[in-house]
Amino acid sequence: MTRDNRTNSKSHIPKGSFLFEKIVPVSLVVMGVVMLGLIVFAAGVLLGLVKF
Amino acid sequence: MSVNHILPFLSTAIMLVFTVSVLQRFFVRRQPHFLFWGIGLAMFGAGSFAEAYLALAWNKWVFFVWYLFGAALNAAWLGHGTLYLLVRKKWVHAVTVVLVLGSLFAGYLMLQTMPKLDEAVFTTDRIISEQYGTKALEAGEPVPAGAQTITTTYRGEEVTAVRGILPLGAPVRLTTPFFNIYGLLTLVGGAIYSAYLFWRKRVMPNRVIGNVLIAAGALLIGFASTLTRLGYGEYLYLGELFSAILMFAGFRFAARPQPDEVMQPAPAAAD
Repeated sequence: MTRDNRTNSKSHIPKGSFLFEKIVPVSLVVMGVVMLGLIVFAAGVLLGLVKF
Repeated sequence: MSVNHILPFLSTAIMLVFTVSVLQRFFVRRQPHFLFWGIGLAMFGAGSFAEAYLALAWNKWVFFVWYLFGAALNAAWLGHGTLYLLVRKKWVHAVTVVLVLGSLFAGYLMLQTMPKLDEAVFTTDRIISEQYGTKALEAGEPVPAGAQTITTTYRGEEVTAVRGILPLGAPVRLTTPFFNIYGLLTLVGGAIYSAYLFWRKRVMPNRVIGNVLIAAGALLIGFASTLTRLGYGEYLYLGELFSAILMFAGFRFAARPQPDEVMQPAPAAAD
């Protein structure tokens, strides 16, 4: 059985949603920055800049 | 018995359910990303169980499992599953070979380290993440309260170090950042990228939220591990538990079928 190609409100992001308009994009940016910070930290361990 | 003795048991139970759930999907669909996720989750669960065991008693092979699978490898294998999902190119198979060989090499280095473990320093009074590493002290650096020190020769110099189970400068510890950088980039980066794609296309809100939760869970364990490196190991087990809960919730959320779903060729960190 194939899935229906028609659009459906349940499979679309609701318009004007505070969660999807504000919280999700801010979360993605913050998590991206934290991820880069952790990668820099791990690289610092590799390069001997962070003692362990 | 403290809360920190109980948390790894809870994480283990969640990871067991999570692992079975993912591997079931692999056996039904035969898609490689489920296999790598399943292996990574099994490693995560094995690491959690080893922590729980080491909270009660010492066993050097349980420590082997804890360090190799729990601290070094699991993020990379989880992330590699996400890479398989997002990138359907032949070069991913080459990365698989590198990951497998790198994991075997890390296992070999860990085996080489086993006879050198300082088992006498182990105590059930402290969690394993606070006592596994030997750390050289800088000149004038104070000795942490309750820590035992040794004077040893390291890279041709005599240094004072806080005693830990793994010897100072154990090569296996140098492999950990490589695996964790790869795991962070692919698992967290992949989940963020997937969430962004669906968010930008304004479709499949369940996958947007699911991938945000997966990224948050993976970041949480990365953050807790970093705190451990900095000497705050008491937060690791709590971080692992919340990480397991967030990632499992994210996976379930992203995998939740939607009625009359729009056909969507774009990748996701779970399907």
